[in-house]
Amino acid sequence: MLELDDELMQRFQKGDEDAFNHLARRHQQPLINFIARFTGDRDNAEDLAQETFIRMYKAANRYKPGRAQFKTWMYLIAKRLCMNEIRNRGRRDRFRVDNIATNDKAYSANDEQIDLIATAPADAAFQPEVALERKELRDAIQKAIAELPEQYRFPLILRDIQGLSYEEISKILELRSGTTKSRINRARLMLKDKLKPFMELL
Amino acid sequence: MNCLQAEENFSAHLEDALDYQTLQRFESHIAECTTCQREYARFSESVKVSQQLPQIEPSPYFIPTLQQRLAEEQRDRLSFWQRLQGTFSMPKWAISGVMVGLLITGTITFLYHDDWFNRENQPSNEQISTPRAELSSGSPSLNNQFLPRASGTSNFPSTISTQPPQQHYTLKRVSYTTVSTEGGL
Repeated sequence: MLELDDELMQRFQKGDEDAFNHLARRHQQPLINFIARFTGDRDNAEDLAQETFIRMYKAANRYKPGRAQFKTWMYLIAKRLCMNEIRNRGRRDRFRVDNIATNDKAYSANDEQIDLIATAPADAAFQPEVALERKELRDAIQKAIAELPEQYRFPLILRDIQGLSYEEISKILELRSGTTKSRINRARLMLKDKLKPFMELL
Repeated sequence: MNCLQAEENFSAHLEDALDYQTLQRFESHIAECTTCQREYARFSESVKVSQQLPQIEPSPYFIPTLQQRLAEEQRDRLSFWQRLQGTFSMPKWAISGVMVGLLITGTITFLYHDDWFNRENQPSNEQISTPRAELSSGSPSLNNQFLPRASGTSNFPSTISTQPPQQHYTLKRVSYTTVSTEGGL
């Protein structure tokens, strides 16, 4: 039996345009999260997510329902776009004359946008001090993730933030299962070391 | 099991993915080693916190913007016939008829084009027998500097020879003067 994603893709391949819109609505949030966490850029994340969906739309005829998973395919395309974006950003920053802001400053500006939602009071027991501490911690985690080398950052985000299985991550990253597991463990160890100064908050 | 081996198994233990033997060795090491106890506690806490990072909400414009872009893509994806039908609002057979007509007209024009062109531009007998010298040695003009000149003769042959005459061309000579740029280019 086909999964819902595959069923929607089949319908789209037969000419039902709404099926693709339905897929986009289903996956927009995890995709934007993945891109934002990886690139550390909330605004650009939506543009890249749109580009991902457009590429999928264009290549939809090549998709074989049942053979590959829609989610795996989506993250694979998003990963490639993220890599290109980071490469291009590096090039742009190198040639920018007014490149005064440090990476940290640029980074914290993005964090502000991300954490506006994170720090919003969820209930009546909202305490500003606790929220501030949590915000600091989340800033630290986001910063620590962004500082990880790409080969560790990808699997960590896919596993701990996106909640994908090792098998799915291996397919997306085109790695063997053992390599994926060891990279995720290594990434978590790195994250633990980077978060040492904030451990009293935990 | 030493500390390094224990560290390699942190994720597997946290996710309950260790086999029985490794689990026994891991837990007996952790029970003895206070450093590993502390590190494992930090490890599991940092994993827990990163798993609890809040989800970013997409902006309300995300789907409408995407739908607009997809509609543009769909327009680009339309077949040749669909685009023609959309442009001319004509049935398929009418477009086919117009296209066949255009194709026939184009083919006829192409085939008879040379004949028409030659008839219109064929020089008269007088023009053919005009001495070449009159053209080349008369008042110099830009046109005659590039005209082919028959070698060894100054006149055009009165009849058209079957052998093509050897030709050479005189190119206009251009001279350059040096102008000082005063050190700058």
